[in-house]
Amino acid sequence: MANQASPPPRALDGVRIIDLTWLQVGPQATRILASFGAQVIRVEWRKRGAIDFLRYFQPFAPDHATPGGGRVQGAARSQGVRGNYDRGAYFNNTNPGKYGVTLNLNHPKGRDLLKRMVRDANALCENFSPGQMDKWGLGYAELRKVNPQLIYLQTTGMGKAGVYPDYVSYGPTAQAFSGLTFLSGLPDQPQPAGWGYSYLDHSPGYFGAMLLMAALRRQRADGIGAYIDMSQTETGLMLTGTSLIEHQLTGKPTERYGNRMPYRDWSPHGAYRCAGDDNWIAVAIQSDAQWRALVEEMGSPAWARDGELATAAGRKHHEDELEAKLTEFTVAQDRYDLMNRLQARAIPAGVVQRAADRFDRDPQLKARGYFVALPHSTIGTWPIEGFPAKLSASPADVGGLTGRAAPQLGEDNDFIYHELFGLSTDELAALRAEDVI
Amino acid sequence: LITDGNLRGSLKNLVIVEAGDQLGDYAALLLAGLGAQVIKIEPAGGSPSRAIGPFASATPDPEASIFFWRYNLNKQSVTLDLDHPAGFGTLKRILAKADIFLLAGEFPVVARRLEQSHQIVEENPRLIRCAITPFGLDGPYRDLKATDLTQMALGGIMAVCGYDPGKDGKYDTPPIAPAMWHSCHIAGEYAAIAMMAALNFRDLSGAGQLVDVAVHEAINTCTEIAMPTYIYNGETVLRQTARHAMPAVTQMRLSTTADHVYMLASLSPFEREERAFVELADQLGIEHVLRTPEYAELEKQDRRAALTYRNDLIEQVVASRPAQEIFEKAQALGLAWSPIRRPEDNLEDRHFAARGSFATIHHPELNRDIRYPGTVATDGQAPHMHYSRRAPRLGEHTDTVLEWAGFTRAEITSMRHQRVI
Repeated sequence: MANQASPPPRALDGVRIIDLTWLQVGPQATRILASFGAQVIRVEWRKRGAIDFLRYFQPFAPDHATPGGGRVQGAARSQGVRGNYDRGAYFNNTNPGKYGVTLNLNHPKGRDLLKRMVRDANALCENFSPGQMDKWGLGYAELRKVNPQLIYLQTTGMGKAGVYPDYVSYGPTAQAFSGLTFLSGLPDQPQPAGWGYSYLDHSPGYFGAMLLMAALRRQRADGIGAYIDMSQTETGLMLTGTSLIEHQLTGKPTERYGNRMPYRDWSPHGAYRCAGDDNWIAVAIQSDAQWRALVEEMGSPAWARDGELATAAGRKHHEDELEAKLTEFTVAQDRYDLMNRLQARAIPAGVVQRAADRFDRDPQLKARGYFVALPHSTIGTWPIEGFPAKLSASPADVGGLTGRAAPQLGEDNDFIYHELFGLSTDELAALRAEDVI
Repeated sequence: LITDGNLRGSLKNLVIVEAGDQLGDYAALLLAGLGAQVIKIEPAGGSPSRAIGPFASATPDPEASIFFWRYNLNKQSVTLDLDHPAGFGTLKRILAKADIFLLAGEFPVVARRLEQSHQIVEENPRLIRCAITPFGLDGPYRDLKATDLTQMALGGIMAVCGYDPGKDGKYDTPPIAPAMWHSCHIAGEYAAIAMMAALNFRDLSGAGQLVDVAVHEAINTCTEIAMPTYIYNGETVLRQTARHAMPAVTQMRLSTTADHVYMLASLSPFEREERAFVELADQLGIEHVLRTPEYAELEKQDRRAALTYRNDLIEQVVASRPAQEIFEKAQALGLAWSPIRRPEDNLEDRHFAARGSFATIHHPELNRDIRYPGTVATDGQAPHMHYSRRAPRLGEHTDTVLEWAGFTRAEITSMRHQRVI
């Protein structure tokens, strides 16, 4: 060690997390902790019913990662290779920087081993269906006997406290219940557009990381642990903006408003079709000056010089016609070229970027080093999404302590059980023989 | 022994000085919920978020912005003109007693304040500075103009949210930015995380640092399978009505309850869910052939027809009862179904009442209480986050804070006379 350069400073140096999470909402929190240098030990079991669904959910990694990371050019479309638990691409993106062990919690010796690990850990995180840990005798009350300073983060759809403690939820369930789904979409469509992904599998993970870090500071200072009963749905309420307050004041039902801005006289304010297949640009005009600049950019057509449109109130009043006319202009424009021209006139405009645009083209993400190439022991090196902030003294590093993307199932059994927790090779062999690890 | 695991007040010794626009409101609000003292520095006309509606008044009024109310609970307001020659000197004395200086807004303004505060860091090396800007402090986009809408576009969320394409596979509706300022939410949550990380690091090292949060990157992290589906398989996911964007358009649809509420009612590929659904249909007395030899035969002959039959049956089941009844019956059988509620439908829900999810905040000017979303977690008994004070009126705490920072009455009077405060 003496000859090696000192490791980079880490905000969560010396912190150990026992990570029983799966799918997205739980692993999101521990992913962040790992990127700040916590030792995150992902505990999984290899039986089909117990295994993280994301390990065998599409997209799958293909077999042709380049040495530098990513797909071979020309091998653009690939269904990936199915067939084992180490090819889940989304899993790989969700679990970088973590150690991976297998442990059978249906076996009493497995539960004993977990308690042994918990004794020497700062925190445990889980997002099983409500009640699962209690069935194993591993609920907070039990584990606190083992480690009185333990921080226990439990994430469930509704939250354990309350009248729906056992209700089950995926991200979309919580989004529907909280009101987030309703709020997204066009006012003239009967159905909401909702969210094209599980937003509430992301945000509660962010909150989990935030609360864990608050609890870790207190644990360090005062020796106090915490039980954190995180509710995905409650998190959703936190994100309903001004709607709840406005409703209480006016008594009117909340309505959705599409891409428009009902709370300021901003218009046009929306996504407008550009040249090409399903290409769009978002434009947000916030002032008369920006409107005049847009008119100039369009070549000052007669309709746009109409005096009624010179004021914010007038534009708001004629918003439907205005948007239709603006689309007649944008539909012939290249989306990026138009964005650059509008931005050159200080008009807020942005291409509606698909993943391909963000990955292949976005110069900002490239310049900031957003994607980080990390190796996976089975599928090779792939670009992993980074942490969206630069910290000058203790930078985040999604490769964490492992310097890898996600772990293979049980990849670190020897390191964690033998080197870290001191089990002998004979003990490990016996546990393997008994299907405990 | 250990009796109090609640995190309320866990940041009570922390002082955050916040300046800038709406990008910073929510990040500081979250830490205020854990007990941090947040001092909001505002120009004489009020911070930009006071101009964001809706308003509780007939015309826009900086004291009646519901947006400002919602995102500034528990905070203190100090009017201070940072562009006045004496303004930053005043701020310096406040920051000498602060832990975090949170700066939010467009790059040029934030960059100027960072430059100004450089000397402060030399005097108070424990100070953590956190900048939240649309694209970060460097890179070719750093000067671009941005709003919530354009950030949701460039960041990738809009491309995956919207309505189904037509039968020809072409979209006749635009991508949708889900409403309510999620660029501020996502970036604010990450900023809160990054500040907590910097605090943890300071506990270990004694050193502050500069945290550079890019809203653009924050949104990019929040699009789920869209990015890996492209990176690994070169495929683009398609936006679809109220369900996940996937490489192909999926079959699932929304159902309507007897009381005309849309219901998210779908079955995952797991067999236990189909079994639970059959039990639900049986409980409700709805005839069907699911899980009979007849259905097995249909599945074998025509998988698509079988799926359509099953989806039709889901619609029939959902249509047979009001939303709350379907919700509770389905959940009792382990189905992750939910009505698509308006946010306010939750104000009277017993569950959130029992958890203390809403904070009741008194508004003396209105002579009434308003309930605000108040926590994301409990300790099993009580919420971990705690809000008790309405957002401050403009400059409400100027004198209090300046006195706390060590200014004399004479100094305060003089600054007021010179329009520094």
